[in-house]
Amino acid sequence: MKIHVTGYGLISSIGTNAEESIESLRNLQTGIERGKSEATKAYNLGAIHLSNDELKKRFDLKTDGSRTALLGMVAAKQAFEGHELSENIRTGLISGTSVGGMDISEVEYKKYLDQDGHNPENYKHHSSGTSSDQIANELGISHFVNTISTACSSAANALMMGARMINNGMLDRVVVGGTDSLTLFTISGFKSLMIFDEDWCRPFDDSRKGLNLGEGAGYIVIESEKSLEISKKQPLALLSGYSNASDAFHQTASSPDGHGAKLSMTEALRVANIKPDEIDYINAHGTATPNNDLSESQAIQSIFKDRIPPFSSTKSYTGHTLAASGGIEAVFAILALQNGYLYPNLNFKTPISETGLVPQTTFEEGKEIRHVLSNSFGFGGNNSTIILSAT
Amino acid sequence: MYFIHTIASISHQDSFQVPNVFERLEKLGDDSDIISPNYKEYVPPTALRRLGPVLRMGLTASIECRNNVDADFDAISVGTALGCLKDTEKFLVTIHTTTSDFLSPTAFIQSTHNTIGGQISLGLKNHAYNMTHTQNNLSFEVALIDAIMCVNEGKQNVLVGAADEKIDFLAQAQPDLIPDTHPLTSGASFFVISPTKGSTGIGVRDVHTNFNATNIAKDIQDFLSKNKLTTDDIDVILSSNEQPFSDKQETLNYLDYSGMHYSAPAFALHLAHDYLLSKGKKFALIVNDMCPGRLGLTLVEKQ
Repeated sequence: MKIHVTGYGLISSIGTNAEESIESLRNLQTGIERGKSEATKAYNLGAIHLSNDELKKRFDLKTDGSRTALLGMVAAKQAFEGHELSENIRTGLISGTSVGGMDISEVEYKKYLDQDGHNPENYKHHSSGTSSDQIANELGISHFVNTISTACSSAANALMMGARMINNGMLDRVVVGGTDSLTLFTISGFKSLMIFDEDWCRPFDDSRKGLNLGEGAGYIVIESEKSLEISKKQPLALLSGYSNASDAFHQTASSPDGHGAKLSMTEALRVANIKPDEIDYINAHGTATPNNDLSESQAIQSIFKDRIPPFSSTKSYTGHTLAASGGIEAVFAILALQNGYLYPNLNFKTPISETGLVPQTTFEEGKEIRHVLSNSFGFGGNNSTIILSAT
Repeated sequence: MYFIHTIASISHQDSFQVPNVFERLEKLGDDSDIISPNYKEYVPPTALRRLGPVLRMGLTASIECRNNVDADFDAISVGTALGCLKDTEKFLVTIHTTTSDFLSPTAFIQSTHNTIGGQISLGLKNHAYNMTHTQNNLSFEVALIDAIMCVNEGKQNVLVGAADEKIDFLAQAQPDLIPDTHPLTSGASFFVISPTKGSTGIGVRDVHTNFNATNIAKDIQDFLSKNKLTTDDIDVILSSNEQPFSDKQETLNYLDYSGMHYSAPAFALHLAHDYLLSKGKKFALIVNDMCPGRLGLTLVEKQ
């Protein structure tokens, strides 16, 4: 069964919608910059410079929630704009998040430790599932809600589950994607892993040192044929391939040869029923950690051999938005299919010595792009690939 | 039908490696504690030391399931509502109290919800589909929906389960984060489901979730009629509420036996399975309304 994409929405440090994001991508304008607060001034981050109150006001949000939930509402509402709720279209929301309401909980827990005005009521926003309930309520979606939490592959897995629920006849239309806000918890966590680059991250460059964190949300709307007949929406793209596999190598590191990545790319190509040489662009996971980029490069070489399509990591613009990244990058993929865009990989100078791979470094448009492959790999060896195709 | 081939539960009951959990089932008292298996038989001691309760329980229950079936799992679907709370709290304390530039990453690494699924894949060297679902009290039901889809798609041995752990701090967050009708507990229940009939002939026939449930009785009626059944056909209702839905069948509150944690509905499936097995009955219905408005329904059948 064909899975039709009929809407998309995103927010990140390079824009509050698709138009702004493309302008930034075109102008080589990154959203990553030095943190502005006392707690973040030591880090390069892809932060969104709108407070929670500003988000609520500017995007007319009616539902309260954590910053993760609010960012999710902004992007999901954009994606769902122009869609109508109908009793005849069973509509669900499947959202990925890794931090949930941690942005509120970590502040509240500090008050608890300091015995300074601790208010337990604020933990009602903590659970990741609750953030999805809040996004669904904002959209008025009532048939099904679920949250996927597989760290950095969460949104890609949400896309996959949505497509499978349509294929299994359980839902007709699903808003799928992911959201994560910047938190002290994740900033300190990645610092403890010593995989930050103090400078601007350099995906696929030989001198890369690590990632920059970002925040944001990205969602797409997918529909069955039957749903399209009722909604009369124009398909923008197809979600043609998806897969998830386990690297089963290490809790945080990828296997040197990218075994899990190879499995997920191979299976996604099989689901999409296309050959590797039909892929016109790869939006890589490309976090810019020494481990990921080498492992992913080797997996890409193993699948695509000597015919490697243009590839890049847009995390050099947005930072690594964790559970949101697969959603944001799916929107980039759809825009690439619609407009023939190829996105540059910023800060690349020297190929990784082991692989010699050179990513796309300029913004191009008007190319013929039929199939885009997008990778998302998470902690726990959780490797996911989705393929978006032209209608 | 999605047949249950094996079950491993770690709970406040004598539920691990027992033929039937009803044999020694008792309502939880105030001093009740979790009954832990000998984890060292499943996880090397060096690894075990690093793992918080939810990871120990989830990994051990999964390995036990693997030991009981003949083939590798071809899909793994895990539910957890609040995830690795102990490691999450530990890392929160670290970042709020440490001034050093060097923080230990272990608690952070183990704080993500999918550490449970990741540890299972690592422990079993399993490269298959591996998913983690988190949806408050419905976390197990959504994991089960995923597992059912895996079977529909041709998978033969699907590991599905749920695990949640209690930390002392959680009492502070009651009832905003978790209800306070029962003592807070921990627990994990894992199952292998398959399209082929297992030795008991018992399986899951259907699952339904509704996060905006306003009329539970109507949801139950619709769910049963979709399955061409009425409440009269149901032999036992396992509910999370004292309120009986009908006086035609036995009703028991599974929280009386599991205590309060959001993976308790997975333990309820263990109870339902063993009830049908020991009494030779046909249908059990699990009604999960632990959180107001968030309803899960699971229909269990013996063929």
